[in-house]
Order: sequence, then C-alpha cells, then structure tokens
Amino acid sequence: MQQTIGYKKVQDWLKADKKKPFDFQEEAWQYYADGYSGLVNAPTGFGKTFSLFLAVVMEGLSQEKSKKNAKERLQLIWITPLRSLAKDIARAMNETLQALNLDWHVGVRNGDTSQNEKLKQKKSMPEILLITPESLHLLLAQKGSSILFNNLKCIVADEWHELLGSKRGVMVELAISRIKALNKNNLLRIWGISATIGNLDEALDVIEPDLTAKRVIIRAKLSKKITIKSILPDDIETLPWAGHLGLKLAYKLLPIIKKSKTTLIFINTRGQSEMWYQHLLNIEPDLAGRLAIHHGSIDFELRNWIEESLHTGLLKAVIATSSLDLGVDFKPVDTVVQVGSPKGVARFLQRAGRSGHSPGATSKIYFLPTHALELVEAAAIKEAAKNNNIESREPMVMVFDTLIQYLVSLAVGDGFDDQQIYQEVKNTHAFKLLLPEEWSWIMQFITTGGDSLTAYQEFNKVVKDEQDGLWKVKSRQIAMRHRLHIGTIISDAMLKVKFLSGGYIGMVEEYFISKLKPNDSFTLAGRILDFVQLKDMTVIVRRSKKKRAMSPSWLGGRLPLSSNLGAVLRKKYNEVLDQHHEDEELDTVYPLFLKQQEKSHVPKENELLIELINNREGFHLFSYPFEGRLVHEILAALVAYRLSRLVPITFSIAMNDYGFELLSDTEIPMDDAIAYDIFSPVNLAQDIKLSINSTEMARRKFRDIACIAGLVFQGYPGKYVANKHLQSSAGLFFNVFSDFDKHNLLLRQAYDEVFYQQLEEPRLLAALHRIQQSNIVITHPKSFTPLSFPIKVDSLRANMSSEELDNRIERMKAEAAKF
Amino acid sequence: MTITVCDEEFILIKERALFLPEKQLLVISDLHLGKSAHFRRAGLQVPSTVAQSDLQRLSLIIERYAPQTLLINGDMFHHQLNSDVDDFSRWKSYYRNLEFILVKGNHDRLADKHYQDLGIHVYEPSYCTDKLCFIHDSTACKEETLYPISGHIHPGVTIIGKAKQRLRFPCFYFGKEYAILPAFSAFTGLFNIKPNKGEDVYAITPTKVLKV
Repeated sequence: MQQTIGYKKVQDWLKADKKKPFDFQEEAWQYYADGYSGLVNAPTGFGKTFSLFLAVVMEGLSQEKSKKNAKERLQLIWITPLRSLAKDIARAMNETLQALNLDWHVGVRNGDTSQNEKLKQKKSMPEILLITPESLHLLLAQKGSSILFNNLKCIVADEWHELLGSKRGVMVELAISRIKALNKNNLLRIWGISATIGNLDEALDVIEPDLTAKRVIIRAKLSKKITIKSILPDDIETLPWAGHLGLKLAYKLLPIIKKSKTTLIFINTRGQSEMWYQHLLNIEPDLAGRLAIHHGSIDFELRNWIEESLHTGLLKAVIATSSLDLGVDFKPVDTVVQVGSPKGVARFLQRAGRSGHSPGATSKIYFLPTHALELVEAAAIKEAAKNNNIESREPMVMVFDTLIQYLVSLAVGDGFDDQQIYQEVKNTHAFKLLLPEEWSWIMQFITTGGDSLTAYQEFNKVVKDEQDGLWKVKSRQIAMRHRLHIGTIISDAMLKVKFLSGGYIGMVEEYFISKLKPNDSFTLAGRILDFVQLKDMTVIVRRSKKKRAMSPSWLGGRLPLSSNLGAVLRKKYNEVLDQHHEDEELDTVYPLFLKQQEKSHVPKENELLIELINNREGFHLFSYPFEGRLVHEILAALVAYRLSRLVPITFSIAMNDYGFELLSDTEIPMDDAIAYDIFSPVNLAQDIKLSINSTEMARRKFRDIACIAGLVFQGYPGKYVANKHLQSSAGLFFNVFSDFDKHNLLLRQAYDEVFYQQLEEPRLLAALHRIQQSNIVITHPKSFTPLSFPIKVDSLRANMSSEELDNRIERMKAEAAKF
Repeated sequence: MTITVCDEEFILIKERALFLPEKQLLVISDLHLGKSAHFRRAGLQVPSTVAQSDLQRLSLIIERYAPQTLLINGDMFHHQLNSDVDDFSRWKSYYRNLEFILVKGNHDRLADKHYQDLGIHVYEPSYCTDKLCFIHDSTACKEETLYPISGHIHPGVTIIGKAKQRLRFPCFYFGKEYAILPAFSAFTGLFNIKPNKGEDVYAITPTKVLKV
C-alpha cells in the first residue's frame, strides 16, 4: 500500500496539515487495500470516518480516471442511520476531496433530498453516496437501478451498532445482499463502523455473513476519558417519587450552562423536550435566542439552522432528543446533560461522547434525575461505565414483514428472479434459517395473496413478466403507494405545521391535532402557537400571545432498562441502607429508602419484595424483580395467569423497569407458598404460552408488522391519504388472519417477536431461579410506597383474565362505572 | 334480546341484525360486500373467506327467523362489481322467496341495472313504515314524524370497569332522536359512541346481546 500514488498523496496532505494518522486508521487502510471487509471499532472523536473514507479515496487516487458511463460512477455507498449525520459527513468529505484534488462528487440521499437533486443523481450518479437504509431501498425500487452498482468498491454502514438490533439493520443486510450480486467488479468490500458493544464479533457476522470472505475487526486501542456527575437535590423531598420531567432541578442547570461554551441537553422524548425548553426560558429569560430545541419532528430547515449554529458556537445550549445522539461532531460542545435515565450504559456513553469531541479531550456529562429513584440508576450507570459493562445489540432475524417489503421494492424496481433472490436472502444473517416452505409462502403472499387453502380471489400485486420471467409490480398505483411506505419506523400519521403567514415549523401527530379546537394553543419547536385550522392535511397556526400551552405528545417507544444495568441496579439498592459505598447519589436518596423501610421493606440482594395494597381503586400487588420493563411485562402476565388459575380473577397489569403491578377488583390470594409457586420456573414455557395468548401483546406487535408488510398505511407528513377507501386497521387484519388464515407467517412473526425479543426466555428463567433462591418478603403497606408509586402512575397497561367474558361484563356493569 | 320501540317488538340478534316479527322484516346494515375483494385488487391480502363468512352468518339468521323481507340499510356493496359480488349472486339464488330491499348508502354506487339484475329493490333515501324510517345516515332524515333507524357509523361501545378494565364491542344504539344499527360485515372497524342519559345501548358480545 505504501507504494501507491494514493497513499503518498494522502500522506503528503496529512503532513502539510501537521496531522498524523492513528494506528487503527493505517491498519484499516492496509486491510482495505488488501481486499478485506470488516468492522472498525473506535471511540467517537478519533476519526472513524477517515479510517474508511480515506481508504477508498486512496484507491481512487491510484486509479486511472475512468471514462465510464455517468450512471456507473458510484464508488462508495455510505449508509448513515440519521439524516442529520449525512450533511456533516458530506461537508468533511468534500473538504478532503478538494484538498486532495480528487474530482469526485459527494451526493446525499434521504428523506430531505429534493426531487430535483434526485433527478440529477438519476442522470449522473456521484462517486460517493450518503444514504439512509430507507433511501437505499427506494433506490432499489427505482427502474434502471440495477446498473448503478457495477463499479462500486465499498459499502460502509456507519454507526452500525445503532442499526444492528433493529429492522433497519435487516434492511441494510438485504440491500447489501442485492448489491453484492449486482456488482460486477469482484472488488466490493463491506465495512461497518461501530462504537463498543458487547457483541462486536456478531456485528461483523451480520454485516458480512460470508465466512469465506476476508474479514477483520479493527479495534482502536484508544480510550476516551469520561467524567460523570449527578446533579443532586439539596433535599430529597424536592424530587418527586415518580415522574419524568425533572423540572424542579432545572435551576441547577443554569450555572452549568453559563460556565460551559455550549451545552447539549438530552431529554428522552420530544414532548418533554418542548416542556423543558419553555421552562428554561421562563427561569432564565437571558437564554432567549441562544437556546434551541432539536428533535425529529422539527422542520428540516430549522434543524439545519440549529446544526449550523452549533458548529459556529452561536448557541449556548441545545435541547435534543436522540436526534442528536450519533456521531455529529460539534466542536464547541463541551458539556452534555442527560435528563432522566438513559436506560442503558452504551447510550449514556454515546451521549457523553458528544462533548469533548476532539481526540484526547475529556467528555463531561451531567446526569439530572427526574425522580428520586433515578439517583440509584445514576450510581449504577457510573459503576457500569467504570467497569466497561456495555450491552450487546441483538440482531433481528426472520422478520418476514421486512422481507416482504423488500421483495415488493425489488418488484417495483427492475423486478426479480425468485430463485436467485432466495439464494441471496438465505445468505444474509437475518434469514439464514429461512425454510423453503416459508419462502414459498412469502412468494404466495405477494403474488396470490396467500396459500391456496384460503381463497384470495382477484388478488393483484406482484406478477410475473412473461417476457423476461421476472416478478414485477405492474400497477402504477400499487408501485407508488409502496414507494411512499418504504421503511420500518412506524409512527402515527404526522401532519405538517405551518404559519398562516407561511413557513413550516415541524410536525405533530394527527391524533393530537384531532383533540384541538381553534384557538387552542400548543408548543412546537419551542414556540407557543395558536391553532387556526386544519387545511389540506396541514395544520395552520399563528404565533400565540399566551404564556403557557400544552405540549403535543409524540408516540414513541420507550426504551427498557438493559439487563446489564438491571443487575448493577439491584446491587446498588442493597448498598443504600447499609451505607457501605462511595456514591453521593445513594447518600442523597437515603431518607427515601428509610421511608420505604418504614412503610414496607427495602429488598436485599437475596430478597424479592411483594407489596399488597388495598385501596379505593382495588387490590394491588406490587413486586420488584428489577429485570427491566420488557421482562416485567412477561413476568406480570405469567404471575397473573398463575394466580388466575387459583381463583377466577381479572387483572390489569402495569410495569416499569423496577417491577410490576397487578390490579384487580377482587382480593388477590397470596401467602408464602403461593408466592414461591407463582414465581416458579417449573412449566415456564407452557405457562408463558398460555398467559401471553390471553394478553394483547402479539396484537400490539402486529401493528408495526402490518405497516411494514404493506397491509396498513401510515400517513405521510403533509400528504393527504388519497386511499382512504383502502384504510383499515392493523387490529382488524389481526382478527381477520386469526379467524381465516391461521397459517399467515406475519401472524406467527407477531408471536415470535413477543417470544424471542421481548420474552428473552433465558433471562426470565435466570430471574425465576434467582427468585426461588431468595427470600420472598410480603408486606401490607397502608398506602403507596416510594417503590410502588412510580409503577402505579405508569399508564401502559394490559389485561389478563380467567373469568368468563359474560360474567366479567355483568360484574363490570353492576359496578356501573361505565363509559 | 327483545325490546319495544315505537310500540313495536324488536328482536336484537347477536349476529348483528334486527328482526321485526310483526312485519316479518329482517334488517341489517353496512354489509360492505366486495370490500375485501376491493382490497385484494389493490394488493392488500384480505382473505375471500371474510365475505363468505358474512353471508354464512346471514344464512343462519334467515333460516332461524324465516323473514319475508330482508332490508339492507345502506352500504350493501362497498365499491364496484367484483368476485365478492359474484359470490353474493350465487348465494342469493338459494332465497327465491325472500324479498331483498336496499336503502341506498354512501357506498352504494352501482348502476341501477346491476341492482335489477341482482333482484334487489332499491329505495332512496329511505324506506318508511307507519312509524319507522329506515335510512342509512340519520342526519339526512326529513321525515319528522317517524323514528329513523340508521347505520353508517359502525357503532361500538367501550365498557370500563373498576381496576382500569375495559372491553369493546359492536352495539345497537337507541336514542331519543334516532337509532343506529351495528355494521353487519366482520371486516369493519368500530366507531366509539358515548351514550347520554336516557339513551339505550346494547352491546353485542360473542354469546349474546346485552344492555349496558
């Protein structure tokens, strides 16, 4: 490699700039030049981008300038999970290309790319294309796309840890499998860039599943210094027992913002970030004009401006959600604040890495708790971060909905040969266990509607082109509708929000607007707006004179506590009362634990606490296994099912990351013997099946599946749903398939997602074994305890019943609390 | 369940139908025949058996109550002629002595000739008896002296119990001003209604009709 023209040119340029590459970068260049695929693992701020980008550039510099067809220019596809990343990377790449005097173009393609730009790309592809997984699939769904990849040298999946573990990761796997087959030069290398996760080897297997290929993982032996500091209340009573806002401690942020150059404040949801913005301005009016808010529902132009201002240091602080989580390099940011639990060690460290972004600098992150118990979480995160106890990201497998969407995308594009695509799909990590009968079911699903046992007369979607024998979508309407719905992120119908005088502000969910009357006000992008009217699927607003308004809530998944963090958390709970620790957070929370001890009990490491509380609402059972929300959901259903075998009883179930609640209108039978019995690992698999069947979990999973597989359309921002007559709900499809087409694989997928992703049977089994070894402590507090209160106020609920439906209705009727 | 409305006996049938014994009249609303085929044509996988099971359910009721007339209170055909409608035509040939009446709804846009060919008597906008006015959308009713019986909205009711329990069912609604029938087709969603005092709602559970 050292002998190539490209390497020399790059070295000269680096020397002129007085820069020296890191070892891992040199390593990556060498392996790339030797034809390897692989994974680069390095902390943020050390030039991960350049480890691969320059490798491709060096190769380009060494080549003869090609005189190929303008459509076949593409050399490098750079996949980014977030739109905001693309612009930043494009800028850095363009600067480098210019300095190196390489006549390459960098194109950006994602949901924000203008139609004009896309047309230009269609005529003449750039050498480097920055693209999201969705847009990459859209590209494959474009006629004539097959030849675009002929001379491609490299595909890079940036922030691969972020994509891995989601259906978007599967989209990347599928797109790579297709491009590999289309590529003609036999030089295509596949690389991922990943932050540290627990399963790097697996991450490599997912992005390059071909074990015969030359593969390598390059680990930068560099560590990032991180300081973590909790913002503590002067008095624990200041902090509420439950909640998610944490505004009471906001005043403590002001001095931190003041002494920092620029502060990023991470808040877990978009709705809460709006409230924080208003609150900070209220308590510190001086921040006006120097405080901004950034989240995924804010209009593109506005987001651009914020990102621009972050670069130039114009802003003192920005309130952000996960929209700014990933690798954007804002030099002036020197302080990061995390409000509320980040729920995982990896995410927390990632956010911390947003500050001190240059090599060698220390990242500083403050943790601001939103309720008292989160202080214990802060102590747990510190310990997990210190021990580098970082979570794995489990890749998704056998997601038929994503596969169906992909196949229809190909059919919308140049069409596909089912034998060939079957082989390609089988070679991906996600579908290596795909059975021939499953494949033929999927082909039936998109061509005839379903298996022959269930009639699907007149079905029309993907048809065989008699001329070339490829499967294609012939209907222009179906093709158009499909293109609009490519993707696996499901949200409620979104509406654009626009000023009466013109100018877009952002997006809100349709159901939120449906509750508004004219002149009602709400906040968006930090502004208070009066609702004027809904016109052509656009929300028309004007600036409000009011001081306060409600914030829209965006429905987004809440992250569960990771198992790594859960284990450390249990340990920290033990340490609070015995006071053998060095965590100031635990000292602060001490009085609260005394109260818990006084009202009920603080569970030790070898104990499981069950609290039985009886009040006006009904009979509550609380239990605290500290296994994270998802495991608790299953555990709660299991315990509810086992209790309901003892007596006919109906429960409503709630849970959080610490424990779960069963609420019933009749008394819950409970003693020591019952307690050990309901938490027994015996017959686990069977009981889970029975308990889950009667809950709505599979139906909930089906909501996303139906959208991804193209059965149900989600709205798209600013566009009227022209196909109102084809609208139906996922729930209805769930019923219809359950009643009439039981063999539907999408139905099975819904149950599988519940079982294998949410259930985590090994984790559940381990938890039950642990509980069997522990002392079960049953208490009868008079009122809610510090531990139970946060669960009680949680609104996500499911039901479990062993009563006859009719009896249940009669009894509910008798209670007369209807409607 | 049997109730009395305007001095007339009404039998509320859990298969989502209404029977008036004095008139030997069976009433259903929102059959939406052809909806599933319409979806299939547009590339959405809805089994044909959905529509077939609707017709089987209708057969069951017809055999049980042996009506002289079947009144379909609007939205009989969802869109246009398709294979679901062919199935219906074959099914109908078993009931030569039964009179079919359609009160036109917003979805019923077939040409007059098709209704004639199928042997369906069409009324627009309503079919009235001495006291009752059958009409698809009650808001369009101009018969001030008659009690309108409508469909159109696919009514559903949510029963909320103690301990945050909730159940949702299709329902019959009998208010002071008008009544609403449940949608007959299984391939329809539910629109939640919240009755006021003095209005009666009858939920349809899998086993029976009951007043809530």
